[in-house]
Amino acid sequence: MESKYNLKSPAVKRLMKEAAELRDPTEHYHAQPLEDNLFEWHFSVRGPPDSDFDGGVYHGRIVLPPEYPMKPPSIILLTPNGRFEVGKKICLSISGHHPETWQPSWSIRTALIAIIGFMPTKGEGAIGSLDYTPEERRALAKKSQDFCCDTCGSCMRSALLALSPDSDLRPVDPQAHRLAQQISFKTESSLVDAQTSSEGPSVSTAPSPRQRRSQNQNQNQSPRYPTFTASPAAQHPPQDASHTGSAVLIVLLTLALAALIFRRIYLAHEYKFDYEL
Amino acid sequence: MAEEQQQDIPQKEADGLNCLAYDEAIIAQQDKIQQEIATSIPLVSERQDLSVLKREYADDDTIYQQKIRDLQKKYSSIRKTRPDGNCFYRAFGFSHLESLLEDSKELHRFKAIAAQSKLDLVSQGFTEFTIEDFHNTFMDLIEACDKQPSVGELLGSFNEQSISDYLVVYLRLVTSGYLQREEDFFQHFVEGGRTVREFCQQEVEPMSKESDHIHIIALAQALNVCIQVEYMDRGEGGTVNHHIFPEGGEPKIFLLYRPGHYDTLYK
Repeated sequence: MESKYNLKSPAVKRLMKEAAELRDPTEHYHAQPLEDNLFEWHFSVRGPPDSDFDGGVYHGRIVLPPEYPMKPPSIILLTPNGRFEVGKKICLSISGHHPETWQPSWSIRTALIAIIGFMPTKGEGAIGSLDYTPEERRALAKKSQDFCCDTCGSCMRSALLALSPDSDLRPVDPQAHRLAQQISFKTESSLVDAQTSSEGPSVSTAPSPRQRRSQNQNQNQSPRYPTFTASPAAQHPPQDASHTGSAVLIVLLTLALAALIFRRIYLAHEYKFDYEL
Repeated sequence: MAEEQQQDIPQKEADGLNCLAYDEAIIAQQDKIQQEIATSIPLVSERQDLSVLKREYADDDTIYQQKIRDLQKKYSSIRKTRPDGNCFYRAFGFSHLESLLEDSKELHRFKAIAAQSKLDLVSQGFTEFTIEDFHNTFMDLIEACDKQPSVGELLGSFNEQSISDYLVVYLRLVTSGYLQREEDFFQHFVEGGRTVREFCQQEVEPMSKESDHIHIIALAQALNVCIQVEYMDRGEGGTVNHHIFPEGGEPKIFLLYRPGHYDTLYK
């Protein structure tokens, strides 16, 4: 692989280093570049043991932009898990409008740990998120072990080191875990922003549709904005629903208001009429 | 299976576009502005006579014209930086390395501080392999200064986006590291009920986040380089005020601050 890439490119240099750093599977995560593309990686992560994802091992893709690490990677889950949509870019940190964005000193490992740490949090209708019931998630966790990836050839049963009784339940060193917490913490606050912005004409924090469109048209195109980007389809059902709902509400309220105003005018006229008499 | 899903997307996509048109417009506009800035202003410019500032303001803008005259009493020229949120770090980085071209004793002292800075960060818990590329770029630039290049060569490196941005990342890391090491002190200056660590993650380490007093104090102290900043704003008085970081130091670097932006000044 070495000969194919310009070793002077900062992204190539960095990704080679990360590939070496992540070469051996740990008990909780593993990620490696595809044989023919240093800018696309496949990863496997273990579901957090103290959650509905216990026993699950989930597989996914990481797509790195040419500007990496100045621009963030995009993450896509390939195993059904009940928390993140399959085949859609996951939204962890929303957009350049938002104060919390990707930092060049973060790495693929940070992103993996963020994914693990993020699984048990609530999806709350956010972009790319799913809120399956605990039962469904547990069923998917069990099933996830059967998954084998056609592209990279890894099978979930053997993708990670087996958990031993004295394994640390926490996937990582404190520094990385802290970073991961930071990402997920931010995501939740940014989701609130994204939701409010879809209700009013305020400055929006949602990711650009152009970005989503271009990503769909051309999977290889790198994301232009700080991402862990969202998927389009994921967002639509809740949004469409809320829009129909609010439209109906607006019409009803307008009618009610109009009725009140007419009543008031009518009463006022009557009163005036009486007075003049 | 993945391909099937992709084919479904365009239809659903089209439905949702209207609600998101706002975002698209905003982001497209920001993108356009950034591109315009990028093509019209280099990351670090050539040295220009200070009188270029006069042309940036209307002739009857007495407050600014008066302050520019005041500035001209102390300084002769200016080197502009691209207003991309990283201007403080770039202006600082360039003017400091430029000053080291003529001061080999200081260069050696600074090289030792710069080398140590990575060890400090690693011992604080920063991941070594993610910060070392940035540190290496920083060290390479300092090493290059040892070979006495022309100012033009240094300027060339600073206008090479990848080198220049890596330097900015590293200076941001140094700033963040120092703020976190001196957390007890800086905690009092962090706004919005955040911890120093949160502040660093939100306002220091991400690219394009603008710098304030707190960033300047931290970087000046972390690298032991004294910085003087001339503040030029709409305030009354006709003179430009300055601050020296850290206070009481012997400034080596002079920056001009106008609201939201830093450039480098020369005596």
